Amino acid sequence: MKRISGLGIALLLSVVMAHNSFAVVRDWTLDKDHSNIYFSVDHIYAKINGRFDTFTGTVNFDPANLRESRISFAITVDSIDTNVSKRDKHLLSADFFDAGKYPSITFDSTAITDAGNGMYQVAGKLNIKGKTYDLTLPLKLAGIKDHPADPKSQVIGFNGTVTLDRHVYNVGDPKFYAMGLVGKDVEILVSIEALSPK
Amino acid sequence: MDRAKKSGQGSCRLVPFRLMVVLGFAVLLGGALAVPFQYQTETLWYKTGVDKVLLRTGQQAGLTTLVLLLAQIVLSLRGRFLEGLFGAACLLRWHRFNGPLLACTACCHAILVLAPEGLGNIPMGKKYWPEMVGEGLFILLLATVLLSQFRSRLQLDYKTWRAVHRPLGYLIPVLALIHVLFVSESFAQGAPRAVLLVVFAVLTLFAVLVKTGRWRARS
Repeated sequence: MKRISGLGIALLLSVVMAHNSFAVVRDWTLDKDHSNIYFSVDHIYAKINGRFDTFTGTVNFDPANLRESRISFAITVDSIDTNVSKRDKHLLSADFFDAGKYPSITFDSTAITDAGNGMYQVAGKLNIKGKTYDLTLPLKLAGIKDHPADPKSQVIGFNGTVTLDRHVYNVGDPKFYAMGLVGKDVEILVSIEALSPK
Repeated sequence: MDRAKKSGQGSCRLVPFRLMVVLGFAVLLGGALAVPFQYQTETLWYKTGVDKVLLRTGQQAGLTTLVLLLAQIVLSLRGRFLEGLFGAACLLRWHRFNGPLLACTACCHAILVLAPEGLGNIPMGKKYWPEMVGEGLFILLLATVLLSQFRSRLQLDYKTWRAVHRPLGYLIPVLALIHVLFVSESFAQGAPRAVLLVVFAVLTLFAVLVKTGRWRARS
């Protein structure tokens, strides 16, 4: 009898531990109207700014449970917008993103670590033009608070910038850099707002 | 004998006028082919090697299509002056020959312009409307030529075919003008834009004069 109850306690403990290790992290719904993925790249002397208008994302984030937290997003490449349709067309061409062949860019976090002062290092896999690369995205947690306009929700915000050498990701023929036309370093600015019921 | 002699003399007198018409066409075609060199688009800045050759040749193919389209309108309208110079049968023969030629140059334009960008990257969407006008134009042009070439095989009676062919004949040049004016930086301003607009204005005037009967051909 003692043996049976011991087994029962062990089973219960293992279930509780398993539940803790796979604890559901708070799910935040991306507020697409207030989230942006911007980029900036040099053109001879000027800076050209652009953005991706269409993307989806999932934010499962809990500062107290970073182990189970996840951030991922998928960008629709042909939603690129630099305010000049000819340039957008060129960026979608085989010279840069080859959007017909590679219609999306994805990022899936694999580990989130606290870097202090509200900074989080979001390590993950970036899939671009059919190849997967390791990328760490530094995101600053802007905060978590009650939504000022929606009493039923809370809002979370992240902002982060990262500079990528586009040649590493096979975006854009190196000849444009050699010609002195288009810079190789692209500054990416990720700005996220996501909502969750209280 | 006298009549034959007179007719021969008349024919000889027409030679300079015929040459002038042919020369005018050649100048227009030559001018169009020179545009991608003289008024280079920014798109060409970013192309090198084979891609640059393909794109420039594609632009030239497009402009050749435009000139052939203008010629096609003239050939279809005919007018008293042209019919007197070349004869109705000859003009109709050229009109029929020019159709498939137009389709060929339009195909070359589409392929050569798309090839350097990647054939899978066809511009679609509101912000690419000038390109999409071109895509629609391409389909209409091919449909017009194919319907004319295979009219009997498609068992289309003349009346039905003409009811389709005629409106398309008016619509296609208008779409071509819009496409060229807005898709190409070469025609955004300056001489090419001015020349194109003048040529279209003259052509419209010619069409009005022919259609209102003032310059209508006798046959």
